[in-house]
Amino acid sequence: MKYKYYSYFFCILPTFVFADLNDNFRWSIDGSARYNDYSEPTKSSQIYFLGLDTHKILSNENGDFAYSVIQLYFTKLSNQNPYPFMFDSPDDAKIIIREAHLNYLPTSEWIPNIRIGHFTMPFGLEDSNDTNGRLLDYGHGSNLGTKLDWGILLNKVHDNFEYKMSYTLGGKDEPKSVNGSSLVTGRFSTLSHHDYIFGLSFFYGELDNIERQRIAFDFQYYYETWGVKTEIAQGQLNDDDERYALLEFNKQSLDDSKKIYGQYIYKDKDSLDYAQKLAIIGFSYQLNTELEASIEFKKQLKEINNSKSGLFRAQIRYRY
Amino acid sequence: MKLLITIILIFFIPNALADAYCALRDPVAQIKLLYPTKTNQLSIVKNIDEGVRQQVKLALPNNDLHFGELGKHTLYIALQDKIKLGYIHVRSEQSKWGLVEIIWAIDENYRIKDFSFQRCRSPKKKLIDNQIFKNMFIGKNLNQLQAYLSQDGVTANQKLLTIASDAPDLANVILRCALKTLLLTELVWKDELENN
Repeated sequence: MKYKYYSYFFCILPTFVFADLNDNFRWSIDGSARYNDYSEPTKSSQIYFLGLDTHKILSNENGDFAYSVIQLYFTKLSNQNPYPFMFDSPDDAKIIIREAHLNYLPTSEWIPNIRIGHFTMPFGLEDSNDTNGRLLDYGHGSNLGTKLDWGILLNKVHDNFEYKMSYTLGGKDEPKSVNGSSLVTGRFSTLSHHDYIFGLSFFYGELDNIERQRIAFDFQYYYETWGVKTEIAQGQLNDDDERYALLEFNKQSLDDSKKIYGQYIYKDKDSLDYAQKLAIIGFSYQLNTELEASIEFKKQLKEINNSKSGLFRAQIRYRY
Repeated sequence: MKLLITIILIFFIPNALADAYCALRDPVAQIKLLYPTKTNQLSIVKNIDEGVRQQVKLALPNNDLHFGELGKHTLYIALQDKIKLGYIHVRSEQSKWGLVEIIWAIDENYRIKDFSFQRCRSPKKKLIDNQIFKNMFIGKNLNQLQAYLSQDGVTANQKLLTIASDAPDLANVILRCALKTLLLTELVWKDELENN
């Protein structure tokens, strides 16, 4: 049944919606292999992705009125434990919908754009830093309970600020509400292409039978090829207060092909006896238009159960 | 079913292309800055391939396209109702401050109408506010802008640099970007633009 649904999205729906597939249509085949090497306890796993990433602009005689983004990824796990919620076993394989949305573009400069579908929740640093398919991560999924959800999102870029606000169903990869789940998420920020970016985010609702609230302040500053990013958040999971902070320094080469970053992450909850402190260092190299290699090393800075666990990850990604 | 999906993926491979760097982050808002009376825009997506890259190298010796400039790219026609006001073309140029992204407004005769930065991390980026410097570009076509190039083909000559004496490196970047943008607009989009 699921495959029927995916096939519909993948093949049939675009045929009806798009009069000419090659007209203002972008396609990428996106394949990657990811290797994870854990220490304490020692184990390793692999994840393989093969996806189709599409972008289509819809126009009529008056100009553009909408665009769509559809990203479908065949994803295969190998010895991945714990495994993400959408899988059934450590060696499972599934077609996963990442972004899949239609965006209506009103011509008025004050009426917001309207996005409907499956999209990344507009919160914190992730909102202006797309990490889909990369090792670089801003903890979106673990902090909010899901990285993407089905729903409706309003967004607009004005002269001095931009915003995104969404109402989603809390079904995560399923377009439905589960046990009354729903989420309201939003971020207001200064313009995301400037050197200084300030953002304020909020997140409220119920997901996985947990009432969630979170607010965050994020800041980004870029100087020549250097960058610094930070996010500070406070929230509640039911009545359990939680606190989170991330600090990142990054540097890229002049041609944008090589990037190195270091992160420090602090996570704390009232229900835990200790705060979690993590250090991450990562490097990515875009060898040409299609091929990217990246590595990342993550280490716990504070002993938990008499050990400091670590994770080394490596990924090769090919987009054509 | 997996076999079917695989067959479909293979079927679509000839249409597949790499990420594009050229898109405006919000065309509705940003085109309005360069065309204040525009009411809508029409996007035209075209492919920039290795063949086009070689033509750029021939037409502008010692110049090349950044790897991110290959693939599918968007040019926008700014519209006031159904009347064409001009074009918007965004291009990236490598600099010593990383990539500089410039939004170019171009008229129907392929002359620069105006321009602004989408991303520029140069400490000298206020050069964009220097109207005398901007006027050196406005109203100029590809041949006229080539007159600002020095013999090495990648830096500006004194005609331009005297206006940007405190930011010569950024002036060079803007000039190279303008030349490539006008050249690519004509090479890749001209047929489509004249039929729209």
